[in-house]
Amino acid sequence: MSSLQGWQVDVLDVAQKCVYCGYCSLCPTYKELKWEVNHPRGILDQIKLYYSEEIKDKLRNDVSKQLFESVFLCTACRACEDICIVDLPLLKVWEQIRQEAFKRGRWNPKLLSLYNRVKDFFNIFGLPTEERVSWAALSGMNMSRRTQKKAPLAYFVGCQASYSGKMGSIAESVVKILRKAKLNFTILGTEERCCGSPIFLAGGFSVGKTFAKHNLDQFKKLGVKKVVTACAGCYRAFKIVYPRVLGEEWDIEVVHISELANELFEEKKLKVINPIKEKITFKDPCELVRHCGLSDAPREVIKNIPNVRYEELPSNREESLCCGGGGLLKLNDEELVGQVNSHLISEIQYSEANIVVNGCPTCLDTIQQGIKQREMDVEVIDIAELVSRMVEGKK
Amino acid sequence: MTLKNKVRTKFVRHLGKGFRDDETTIRIYSRDLADLPPITRLFYNNTADAVVLPSTTEEVKKLYELATENKVPVTPRSGGTAGFGGCVTYKRGIIVDVKGLESELLIEPFDQSVLVSPATVISELQRKLNLQGFSLCSYPSSFHSATIGGWIAHGGYGVGSAKYGGALDQILALDVVLPTGEIKKITEKEDLELFVGSNGTLGLITRIQLKIKFDIPLKQFGCTFDSPLQLAKGLKEISEIDPYSIWFFNPKHVEEINQSFGYSLPERYVIIVSKEISYEEEENEFNLSFNQTVRNAGGQILDRRYIINIWNIRFKTFAMLKEYKDYLTNEIILPIETSSKYLQKLSSKIDGQIHLEGEMIGKTHYSLLMFLYFEEKLGPFKKLRVNLDLYKNVLKGIKVKGYPYTTGLWFSGYYQAIFGKERYKKYKEFKKIVDPKGISNPGKVIPPRFKLFPVISLKTALKLASRFML
Ligand SMILES: Cc1cc2nc3c(=O)[nH]c(=O)nc-3n(C[C@H](O)[C@H](O)[C@H](O)COP(=O)(O)OP(=O)(O)OC[C@H]3O[C@@H](n4cnc5c(N)ncnc54)[C@H](O)[C@@H]3O)c2cc1C
Repeated sequence: MSSLQGWQVDVLDVAQKCVYCGYCSLCPTYKELKWEVNHPRGILDQIKLYYSEEIKDKLRNDVSKQLFESVFLCTACRACEDICIVDLPLLKVWEQIRQEAFKRGRWNPKLLSLYNRVKDFFNIFGLPTEERVSWAALSGMNMSRRTQKKAPLAYFVGCQASYSGKMGSIAESVVKILRKAKLNFTILGTEERCCGSPIFLAGGFSVGKTFAKHNLDQFKKLGVKKVVTACAGCYRAFKIVYPRVLGEEWDIEVVHISELANELFEEKKLKVINPIKEKITFKDPCELVRHCGLSDAPREVIKNIPNVRYEELPSNREESLCCGGGGLLKLNDEELVGQVNSHLISEIQYSEANIVVNGCPTCLDTIQQGIKQREMDVEVIDIAELVSRMVEGKK
Repeated sequence: MTLKNKVRTKFVRHLGKGFRDDETTIRIYSRDLADLPPITRLFYNNTADAVVLPSTTEEVKKLYELATENKVPVTPRSGGTAGFGGCVTYKRGIIVDVKGLESELLIEPFDQSVLVSPATVISELQRKLNLQGFSLCSYPSSFHSATIGGWIAHGGYGVGSAKYGGALDQILALDVVLPTGEIKKITEKEDLELFVGSNGTLGLITRIQLKIKFDIPLKQFGCTFDSPLQLAKGLKEISEIDPYSIWFFNPKHVEEINQSFGYSLPERYVIIVSKEISYEEEENEFNLSFNQTVRNAGGQILDRRYIINIWNIRFKTFAMLKEYKDYLTNEIILPIETSSKYLQKLSSKIDGQIHLEGEMIGKTHYSLLMFLYFEEKLGPFKKLRVNLDLYKNVLKGIKVKGYPYTTGLWFSGYYQAIFGKERYKKYKEFKKIVDPKGISNPGKVIPPRFKLFPVISLKTALKLASRFML
């Protein structure tokens, strides 16, 4: 299924199969906007209108405006698809409608500029490729011997951990974990390209595929059999999108850092020397739990802390709340991100946790903003950072 | 009617961004669960002039004042999951999307009650109650989409109704905005009952106080019966042993459940009983009395291994539609005593293809959902014809002392059949006082004139159509 045809669904057919039960009303952005035109079921009704042969061009134009606006207000949290009683592939539908909007020249400028940045600079920030490994220098690590070296395991850093100062010490922490466990690993360095997630999310199949191909070629060149990442977006891309766009060519095993750390604890290759005392909670990133079904590993990892003070959020695992930051919503409606996020922040507050652990840079950034706005005394860290603290001790 | 510019301006001024009248929005709001074929537009005008999204009671109040002043019909809509046309316009006018109302949720643990906005989705309310160790008493199986306000206005029943009754039995108080714009708090049972099943014809419910209960774990028990007659006996006797819910299917539906969810239930009339159970002894005790009751009624006990996790499909029965291209449904309430022959006939109807799913709504009556599944997408005429056929079957149920589930649009004119003469009289008197201009959801509850031939009512037109078009 590496062709565009294999990737696509018949959106009209999907729309017609909707039974209108309305269960998808749990969509986090619909819950804020409240108009039926933003309800996933209402978007499917717009698709029926948009592709209907019976409507006049004026109405089609009117519908397209609303439809394209609505699909870009999706956080890609996948709650609609998860709850869909008749198993409609809704995420693919939203992606294809985004693609349709692109074809019609209806992307908003910010989105278009992200698309171009990724296309031209191979990262979401539009920063120079040479900067990709500057996180190592900043954290006082020498990665030159690890970069582009032949090894069975690769750490795929991802754009956010590579470039964004907001991501704290995610990359550094992963490297510390891998070193502590004495694993033979490599990083792609300046040859790492964005996983393509933002492009696929925006509906760009062909461009996204070139990114997938490039990263695969790099892994092959270095003899990589297994990839570890601490980014939920990259993880989803490798787990779900790459096999679809590259077909059988993509034969690399992919693990999230929480899965790898869990294995390493089980094999006693990692040991807790710093029993963290603070109360911890874990926010399941949508891309891990709903897209990829990963929710046990991070919890197992946290359980290794002796006498751990752990509290689940009221909505957890498959039911976890979306932070609002996904699906490129930040580029479309920043205010809406805040509204969606506020419910998650309330749950964090309710849990009375001192540390919110997470497994997705986008969530991390969004939650941090929400926590700051409410002036809460809560630390937000990545699961890799937690593990690094557990095994190394906090500096 | 189409809003005159001057009137439109008044609404726009009042609601600002909460007012929309672009064609897309209006079209998207032109249906509820039942997506009827375009030919039915001969009966009614399902596209509104505008949709509004007020967020406060004050905004709703002003909205109704403007509507009454300018004689603009107002139709409330919440989850849009009822299939009786209640939230679809009959005469255009304005749709009020209740979902816009600010959320509110206050649990009173000592009173065992909750104060809640009508726009709250049932599953959300239940989740918040569960977090505090409480639960709704009964609720619809459209758990993840129906709102508490819509359920009350539509006069629903559901899971737990065998023990706790329907919407009416849960309400302690309602805040309503009457069509005149007056805001009223209603607490007396005889006033409250006017709003249950009123389908938005008496104004808009803006706040609800509900009874709640402790969240006691539920355990399931199952049995089967060979015939509708035996089923009726079983339902009657099981009702006496105080279960939380009694849920049942006809053999055709059992076959579908087996296929869709991987069960191997015997293809007979199956009853699944749910009981609130806190202790093991309670479970053993109930098990004993359940077994005895079923045997006395001539039924067979289902080994509990057959029904493991069956409660998980409680809110998922629509999942069976996955394998089909189209479906049609209707619903009726029937008394156990007089309906077994009707049930027998219905089961053999339409070449035995009809799926029946029932739920006891008290000790004497059950609601019966009829489904037809189709392997092809129905054309408009076939869809209309089969819909009318289902409609006719509901009318036949009235002959055995049953009544339509609610009025909405399609069963407007059956209020008396549902709630009795006395209540209808009270309803009409109340309606006259609070809605002098008839703006509050016209066409619902009281049958409107048939659009094409205004001498007859919609009720008569539908009755004739279901008799002669088949
Ligand atoms: C999968 C599925 C299962 C279902 N199971 C059940 C069940 O077990 N029991 C049951 O009773 N029904 C059931 N239904 C039907 C339907 O979901 C319920 O009747 C539901 O309670 C309607 O709520 P709603 O919010 O969707 O209301 P809507 O469909 O939006 O409105 C229903 C009626 O109430 C009026 N209304 C809505 N809100 C207000 C308000 N605030 N003030 C005044 N009037 C208002 C509307 O005008 C309309 O007439 C089911 C439907 C589905 C799809």
